[in-house]
Amino acid sequence: MKLAIRLAYRNLIGAGLRTWLNVVVLSFSFVAIIWMKGLMTGWDHQAKTDMKNWEIGGGQYWHKDYDPYDPLTLFDSHEPIPEAVKNEIAMGDMEPFLIVQGTIYPQGRMQSIMMKGVNPKQTLFKLPTHKLDTATEAIPAIIGMMMAKGSRLQVGDYVTMRWRDVNGTFDADEILITAIFSSSVPAAEAGQIYIDLAKLQSMMLLQGEATILTFRDNQKERPTLAGWTLRTHKDLTKAVDEMIKTKTMGQSIFYFVLLLLAMLAIFDTQVLSIFRRQKEIGTYIALGYTRQQVVGLFTVEGSMHAVLAALLSAAYGLPFLAWQAKVGWTMPLDTSQFGMAIAQTLYPVYSAGLVISTVLIVTITTAIVSYWPSRRIAKMNPTEALRGKLQ
Amino acid sequence: MIKFLIKGLLRDKSRSRLPIIVVAVGVMLTVWMHAYITGFMGDTIEMNARFSNGHVKVMTRAYAQNIDQLPNDLALLEANELLEDLRVAYPEIYWTARIQFGGLIDAPDDHGETKSQGPALGLGLDLLSADSPEIERLNLTKSLVRGRLPAKNGEVLISESFSQKLRVNPGDVVTLLGSTMGGSMAMYNFIVCGTISFGVEIMDKGTIIADIEDVRHALQMENAASEIIGFFGDNFYDDYLALKKAQSFNATYESDPDEYAPVMKALSQQGIMGAYVSMAKVWATYITMVFVFAMSLVLWNAGLLGGLRRYGEIGVRLAMGEEKGHVYRTMIYESIFIGIAGSIVGTSIGLFLAWLIQKYGIDISGMMQGASVMMPTTIRARITPVDFYIGFIPGLISTVTGTMLSGIGIYKRQTAKLFKELES
Amino acid sequence: MKNLTLITLALLAVLMVVEASAQDANEILRKVDRNMSSENRIMESSMTVRGKRSNRTIISKTWAEGTQKSFSEYLSPAAEKGTKMLKLEGQLWIYSPSTDRIIQISGHMLRQSVMGSDLSYEDMMDDRKLSDIYDAKVVGQENIDARNTWLLELTAKVADVPYHSQKIWIDIERFIPLKQELFAKSGQLLKRTEMSDVLLIQGRWFPTTVLYKDMLKQGGGTEFKITSIQFDQKIQDYIFTKAALKQ
Repeated sequence: MKLAIRLAYRNLIGAGLRTWLNVVVLSFSFVAIIWMKGLMTGWDHQAKTDMKNWEIGGGQYWHKDYDPYDPLTLFDSHEPIPEAVKNEIAMGDMEPFLIVQGTIYPQGRMQSIMMKGVNPKQTLFKLPTHKLDTATEAIPAIIGMMMAKGSRLQVGDYVTMRWRDVNGTFDADEILITAIFSSSVPAAEAGQIYIDLAKLQSMMLLQGEATILTFRDNQKERPTLAGWTLRTHKDLTKAVDEMIKTKTMGQSIFYFVLLLLAMLAIFDTQVLSIFRRQKEIGTYIALGYTRQQVVGLFTVEGSMHAVLAALLSAAYGLPFLAWQAKVGWTMPLDTSQFGMAIAQTLYPVYSAGLVISTVLIVTITTAIVSYWPSRRIAKMNPTEALRGKLQ
Repeated sequence: MIKFLIKGLLRDKSRSRLPIIVVAVGVMLTVWMHAYITGFMGDTIEMNARFSNGHVKVMTRAYAQNIDQLPNDLALLEANELLEDLRVAYPEIYWTARIQFGGLIDAPDDHGETKSQGPALGLGLDLLSADSPEIERLNLTKSLVRGRLPAKNGEVLISESFSQKLRVNPGDVVTLLGSTMGGSMAMYNFIVCGTISFGVEIMDKGTIIADIEDVRHALQMENAASEIIGFFGDNFYDDYLALKKAQSFNATYESDPDEYAPVMKALSQQGIMGAYVSMAKVWATYITMVFVFAMSLVLWNAGLLGGLRRYGEIGVRLAMGEEKGHVYRTMIYESIFIGIAGSIVGTSIGLFLAWLIQKYGIDISGMMQGASVMMPTTIRARITPVDFYIGFIPGLISTVTGTMLSGIGIYKRQTAKLFKELES
Repeated sequence: MKNLTLITLALLAVLMVVEASAQDANEILRKVDRNMSSENRIMESSMTVRGKRSNRTIISKTWAEGTQKSFSEYLSPAAEKGTKMLKLEGQLWIYSPSTDRIIQISGHMLRQSVMGSDLSYEDMMDDRKLSDIYDAKVVGQENIDARNTWLLELTAKVADVPYHSQKIWIDIERFIPLKQELFAKSGQLLKRTEMSDVLLIQGRWFPTTVLYKDMLKQGGGTEFKITSIQFDQKIQDYIFTKAALKQ
């Protein structure tokens, strides 16, 4: 066997250009499979990452009456922030939201919205809440791109907002749109206006109260809080997880086809080399090799493509993949219709399992594909082969 | 000359069979892959199209501006006439009217007084006309939890969790309290015939689904519709086509200053769907590029190998006095034939396989137990015009390039050495 | 110097008048309340909602006793005919003949608008007297439709009022409001009401046309017209029961 490997190695290197062509194709498949799979996993996880960054953090406590799909619950779903979490809030690891109903009147049209009070100094969400500190007569507010599009509001626009405080007394003021963000999380954008939490609390006469408490760390064991329902990260991302499951099924096909493609190259090479190297095969047998040993030699030679490809891939693929994971892949989208730039940057997610399984699968399949055409050798007549006669 | 080459190819199977098979397999994979990506990427778009956006949607200009509010007071009037016009003008599109509405569902106690109430999000669509595709489009049969689908007027489907919240069961009467098109209060009784669950929270909270005629009756919207949505015959969204249709339709109303004149919007012109569509497009392009590149490498490699394996033959031909340039040219011609033949065979098989997957789909429902009904359980490929030529890029170009490169060796060979080579 | 004294004297006089009226303001408000509310009344009215696309008129007949009980029946249009509403001490029930159902509107649902108008159920339900919930101050006199009016500024003295402050123009002779403006806490004008067609009915002045306008929203507003009104009638008790809704 050791001899077979050495011999195979010499043969391969000796073949020069032909070998390297195959190795390049194979290694390209390696890298492409891992990169694309990683990117797609990254895309799927993006939805979850976006939710985490813009909406749910590491999980949330909801006020027991809060139901995001029933705006009427908003009148009652607020409560003083529990003492137990005050420390966490002070540390910046938990952010309270106060959510109440309001109405805005862009160009005289009436539109129901949710006002979300958020701490302008928060670091938990990617929301540009620092823009809520803008010094202005009006109430500074930030909105999502979807909301901006729906109500045709732009940065710098003033719009009248009307709300009722906790006693039901009407109040109204101008708000100034100080920033528009794009989160690709509809639940963080549609029909919502973010304003300073302290301001909203005083507008509503709800000092120190909140509707949702979002915590940063989703690993930590969370205690139960009376009057609040714990909604873990897992609960909140259930729908996305299901979507990922569907997508993963569909993506395994890409994986499979890229593999097929690489195999086509190996198969072609093997068939050719057996065809061209009949004299050599005849010589091996004449030298006392059994047919099985020759088949083994050719199989090892074919499989060695994969090993060389793996080495080559490691040489240029690893830095490439690592670089990609760091800077991400920015998709240039046709953004003219949005009136603002939205860059969708995807960060590929690779797992050790992905890399190992890809290398293993490619190598094993290469071995099989190398073996398959080599079986012909076993049927060869050595004398004919030695003479180089076509069979 | 060409005849001679083709004859040569046909008679010498080793020169034609394997290369053509390799090219054909490569091309087949490319074509099939492209169709598959297109279909796969379109899944999310189709789901949105079926439930709310349509491939194209017609509404009044005023409605379109305030669509987030479900402003039924701005709905299309004379909807049936418009529907007829659309069916005549765009027969290739399946048109259907829908009404989206908000309201309150009130369940009575034994005395007919309020037992429970909850906010509802309603959808009125064609459920009762024979062979209405809407039931299948929304996957209602699979979504059914209890009871049955509406079979006659006055029946309504409500979401399972909503039915539990209201404590109502199939067979119970509920009252819709909403607002009529004119702005008056609307009260209308429905019999709950079944409950549904889509497995998506937003749809499972307060959804009610009724036949559009009932909704029209309830909201005094006789012959009106909040939107008329259109689906392309093959149930696949084609952005280019949709935009073109919308443009041509809107051009006919361009001079009409009426705020309530109809306006057509392609799916990508509605809300955030545009971002999805361009994202899917970009993705499909990238994956295809990577794939075509990889395939080109393989076929180029194959072309190269094909040239190398004929080392001996070329030697003989050169020894017999054939000009180098001539040998080179005939090799290229041959590779063009192989490329074309392989591409045609490969494209045909690829298209056939893609068509199979487009028609029957790959059923992944077995692996999707417990997932939401809205998620597609079948992955379908999608044949687009691109599939008819994309295979030729690796199939023809790469094969020929490969041969060209390998053929360069012909010029390097010296006649003096040839005989020595041939002896060995 | 002489001029200055004169000006000072004049200023003082004005200030004294204003001071005197401030004391009177709450009295004026009480007079208005007395004029506008009655032991009981039966009236027919039409409400015209000026919509974006079309106008709608709803005609109804209302029986009311004090401020806590009222019962309305819609007479037209045909689609609304027979719809009845019963209001009892902050609770509201609606009956529609087509569904034969009595539906209770409660809690936050009361904040929805009535029949697409510029009024919410709550606006209709809030039957507390102005003098009970507002402190009044006379801030001047103005002329409205050739009538002299006191301009009163009302500021809420209880917490649970929809409008934190109001401006109200009161006819000096007849003690009825001719115009009313409702403000948000921030001072933003939210709604405007204009009363006209003041008639003398059973010895009391009463405005029979009221135009409501939501000032933040586009649209023509809602016009409320009383076609006939009778005060101090005998109303049978059963009218103010849920049983009456179904009859």
